Amino acid sequence: MEFLHSILIKPFADMATAPDFLLQVLWEGTVSGTLYALIALGFVLIFKSSRIFNFAQGIMVVFAALTLVGLHENGVPALLAVPITLAVMYVLAMSIERVVLRPLVNQPDIILFMATIGITLFLIGFGEIIFGGENKRMITEELMIPTGSFEFEPFGGFLLIEQKDVTAVVGAVILVLALLMFLNKSKMGRAIRALGDDHQAALSVGISLSTIWVLVWFIAGVVALVTGIAWGARAGVSFALEVIAYKALPVLMLGGLESVSGAIIGGLLIGILEKLFEIYWGQPLLGGNTETWFAYVFALFVLLFRPQGLFGEKIIERV
Amino acid sequence: MLYRVAGQYKTSYKADFALFPVRQDAWLLAFILVLAFVVFPMTASEFVFRTLLIPVLIYSLAALGLNILTGYAGQLSLGTGAFMGVGAYACYKLMTIFPGLNLLAAVLMSGFVSAAIGVAFGLPSLRIKGFYLAIATLAAQFFLVWLFQKWGWLYNYSASGAIQVPNISILGFTFAGPTAPAINQYFFVLCTVTLITFVAINLTRGRIGRQWKAVRDMDIAAELVGINLMKAKLLAFFVSSYIIGVAGALFVFLWRGAAEANLFDIPLSFRVLFIAIIGGLGSILGNYLGAILIVALPVIISGVPAALGLPLTPATVDHLNIMIIGALIILFLILEPHGLARLWAVAREKLIIWPFPH
Amino acid sequence: MKKLIANVLLSATILAGLSLSAVAQDTLKLPNMSYRTGPFAATGTPHQNGQLDYMTMLNERDGGINGVKIAFDECETGYNTEKGVECYERLKSEGALVTQPWSTGITLQVLPRTNVDKIPMFGPSYGFSAMQDGKTFKWAFNAPTSYWDGASMIMTALGDGDVANLNGKKIAFLHLDHPYGKEPIPLFEKLAAEHGFTFLPIPVGLTEMQNQSAQWLQIRRERPDYVIMWGWGAMNAGAVTEAVKTRYPMDQFVSVWWGAHNPDLKLVGADGKGYRALSWNFTDSEAPVMQDIKKHVVDAGKSQIDQAGGEFDSMAYQRGVLMSVILAEAVRVAQDHAGTPNINQEQLRWGLENLNMDDARLAELGVEGMMGPLKTTCANHTGNAGAWMVQWDGEKFEKVSELLSADRALIDPLVEEEAAKYAAANAPWPTNEECSM
Repeated sequence: MEFLHSILIKPFADMATAPDFLLQVLWEGTVSGTLYALIALGFVLIFKSSRIFNFAQGIMVVFAALTLVGLHENGVPALLAVPITLAVMYVLAMSIERVVLRPLVNQPDIILFMATIGITLFLIGFGEIIFGGENKRMITEELMIPTGSFEFEPFGGFLLIEQKDVTAVVGAVILVLALLMFLNKSKMGRAIRALGDDHQAALSVGISLSTIWVLVWFIAGVVALVTGIAWGARAGVSFALEVIAYKALPVLMLGGLESVSGAIIGGLLIGILEKLFEIYWGQPLLGGNTETWFAYVFALFVLLFRPQGLFGEKIIERV
Repeated sequence: MLYRVAGQYKTSYKADFALFPVRQDAWLLAFILVLAFVVFPMTASEFVFRTLLIPVLIYSLAALGLNILTGYAGQLSLGTGAFMGVGAYACYKLMTIFPGLNLLAAVLMSGFVSAAIGVAFGLPSLRIKGFYLAIATLAAQFFLVWLFQKWGWLYNYSASGAIQVPNISILGFTFAGPTAPAINQYFFVLCTVTLITFVAINLTRGRIGRQWKAVRDMDIAAELVGINLMKAKLLAFFVSSYIIGVAGALFVFLWRGAAEANLFDIPLSFRVLFIAIIGGLGSILGNYLGAILIVALPVIISGVPAALGLPLTPATVDHLNIMIIGALIILFLILEPHGLARLWAVAREKLIIWPFPH
Repeated sequence: MKKLIANVLLSATILAGLSLSAVAQDTLKLPNMSYRTGPFAATGTPHQNGQLDYMTMLNERDGGINGVKIAFDECETGYNTEKGVECYERLKSEGALVTQPWSTGITLQVLPRTNVDKIPMFGPSYGFSAMQDGKTFKWAFNAPTSYWDGASMIMTALGDGDVANLNGKKIAFLHLDHPYGKEPIPLFEKLAAEHGFTFLPIPVGLTEMQNQSAQWLQIRRERPDYVIMWGWGAMNAGAVTEAVKTRYPMDQFVSVWWGAHNPDLKLVGADGKGYRALSWNFTDSEAPVMQDIKKHVVDAGKSQIDQAGGEFDSMAYQRGVLMSVILAEAVRVAQDHAGTPNINQEQLRWGLENLNMDDARLAELGVEGMMGPLKTTCANHTGNAGAWMVQWDGEKFEKVSELLSADRALIDPLVEEEAAKYAAANAPWPTNEECSM
């Protein structure tokens, strides 16, 4: 009875007694969720157009952020460092397409997946030689991101919202809207979607595979840069950030590998739920640190009922 | 020349499907076994045992387990590390509960614990496929490692949360623990690995192996021809997790000597996956070739700059090492996506018809 | 396949041969297991730079120790225990005089081997706290101080000299979920039971190091009177930024020595004012030893430090220097005792357990005021140098306490108990009967 009470009633009672704290938890969950969604978005873009499960998205985030910070450390003004970083990401996308993807066209999915792990290892070694391993400060002020915070007093309590988190959320929303516009309205965007639907059909109407792949990897690089800035502003930039790729995988399971809106909704859902679970169930009952697995187990549970994720395309198999 | 098959006639189907259709294969295997059982133990130093031979064997075994699931039955898994952990912790608990237990029995029994948990996490495979399943196996990976950390009973409530292997002897020979000589550990690992490889070869060549391959190639088609998908998939999870669990027990008891939960984290899973894929999915030999490349090569590469007298700091060497491994993975995937085992198969074909090109 | 195996074996033997031939008789092989890569490089690199630079300085200034050059080779582990095994075997085969594992995980793996391989293990202020018991851990040393000492000193300082003053308080323990982070928990639990304060462990997973919002939300909910941090690598920077963000009072936030790390605090600058850490070392860039390093190593371009980033003046770098000072002193003691400058592992072990670095000796070594005096014995392998509370003033750390010392009456029985437990779990475990406690 005691046990059931602590699982079923007490957490909700806690929520009700400290609503300001609950709001804070929800906000923190939203912010992490936005960041998860951004990483997942990078995965989805690449998977949609090329059926490649790009494990290197996590390291691309680190690489983009480190390039930005590294350039600034070497005296490049912040606002100039951003376009240069974008150029670097473009070169990276081009080299990946030329060196890795082009020779591997038409290979099974798992081989391409392995190749992206190869890219990850290569970039880790390469990045550490160039940038070193220490934790670097993100150039938040220099990029004109506000660093103050808003304070509210809802329900006689205390709620603290950081301006850079707000900026991150707003930036993510703008980025997603822009991407959706691009994918749905522009010619290139339609080409990307066409390629995702059927490679051969797309090729036969004159869509260039290599141009589109470079483009998609570049867009994933842009998303990585935005993610890197947003996350780096919270805790600095170092190779330890690379593990955030793992946080995006359950989002993909939940949202579906091909769905942009799935990535966004899945990200937010997981961000908020894992925070709620950790605070109200994990820490008091399970010794904490449940965030490492909660998202996976939750997504697995959902998948049992919807095997292609909440928004994934229904798998039709033919024998 | 070395592989001339002239004069080796096959007069029955049975002969045609024999384990060694070409006599030289048997000779080659015998040669390797002699090398492994006689030559290496007589020549290798402790450094070679502990950093090359033992880890290569253990990683090969883990990759073999994964290969049965991924290469033969077509179910991609990223949770290998955690299942190795299950084997290791199970062995540790067995040895604490029954201190007098024979180590070999404990190692072989701990595989069953891992197999049971593998089947439980394999259940979703009945509904989930492809990359979705791969991510689902990550749920096992993260959840189990978390459990290793939080469940004090598993590590006997030791303050550090790590497990330590005590000295264990069988018939006066110490095989595990700090005082165990490397050569004893090597023989123990070698015998276990040989035994399991022998069973695995026969399993994959038989009825069950063919069922797995049918499921891998197209599960709906396999179901239509009367294969019980649930049975075949769960059996693959069972056998695979068993082997991985045994590999995990060997990993900690016969090699590392101590372990904390993070050891079984995701990098270990990826390492084993590299070995299986670089070696060749759907091949037994590939696991050994892959393990040699992935485990032994970095050890050797990291000694090269020092041996050549290059003025590189160890950190740079390590960074270069990571880059080289990454590049090698890509290179091998481009050159031969079916892995080293296929390279060997091609070479063998060429040898058989040599000196004629066709 | 046979060719591959043969090649592997061949190259391995060639390598082994090459490295063996490189063993010259007249160097002191004092290798270090460094990690300048991976998520923990942020704290690893400056410490290891300090260790390396002091040894380089000895080679440059004095031509080594008593005329024998020091080979302070590094083997990169990336804080990975698997690489640690490889490094250990490699260094052992090269005739290393000492193992410096630099990670609690690797320490736990190497510790049982020390009795068999007879190579002393030196883990300055890290590793297994029970290594203090020299009777059980004949070959392992953790001078100048142990985590349990650190935990005891922090609690005494928080209670204004008496832990009993903490009665009724709530103390959160933010730690890395790893053997290292769990190390002081038994001590805290014992203190909590004795003195009636609430002890609340808050683990931070390796993947959550840079995203600690859940942990800090918990801290906000629980409102602990103090937060003690046992972090490493990227975790410390993450915790400090979160603490600033959640407006946790910085003067109630205390870390173990690894948290006395300038770059982590520079991330928050003035907002971090009041943050304290317990450190067994203090910076003094004008000290003779630092000036010698500057002259012989840094200015000569032989150092890998980030000079523009102020690494030379940082707590971590100078802590690394002191670690090497202790090891070099042990070599000297061993040489004097053995009567030969070319010592072996057994002789170095003797040196490590007969350190007597009192104030006079510290002054001679040019490190006066940088660390407290310490003395190891056969039975005590820690030496129990004290530590200072240091506080971040917005730009740098300042000493804010006298040299503190740990509560021996509390720790020693616990050490004995844990050491006995360890020996029992690893039976048959040889104990060093030469020394009686």
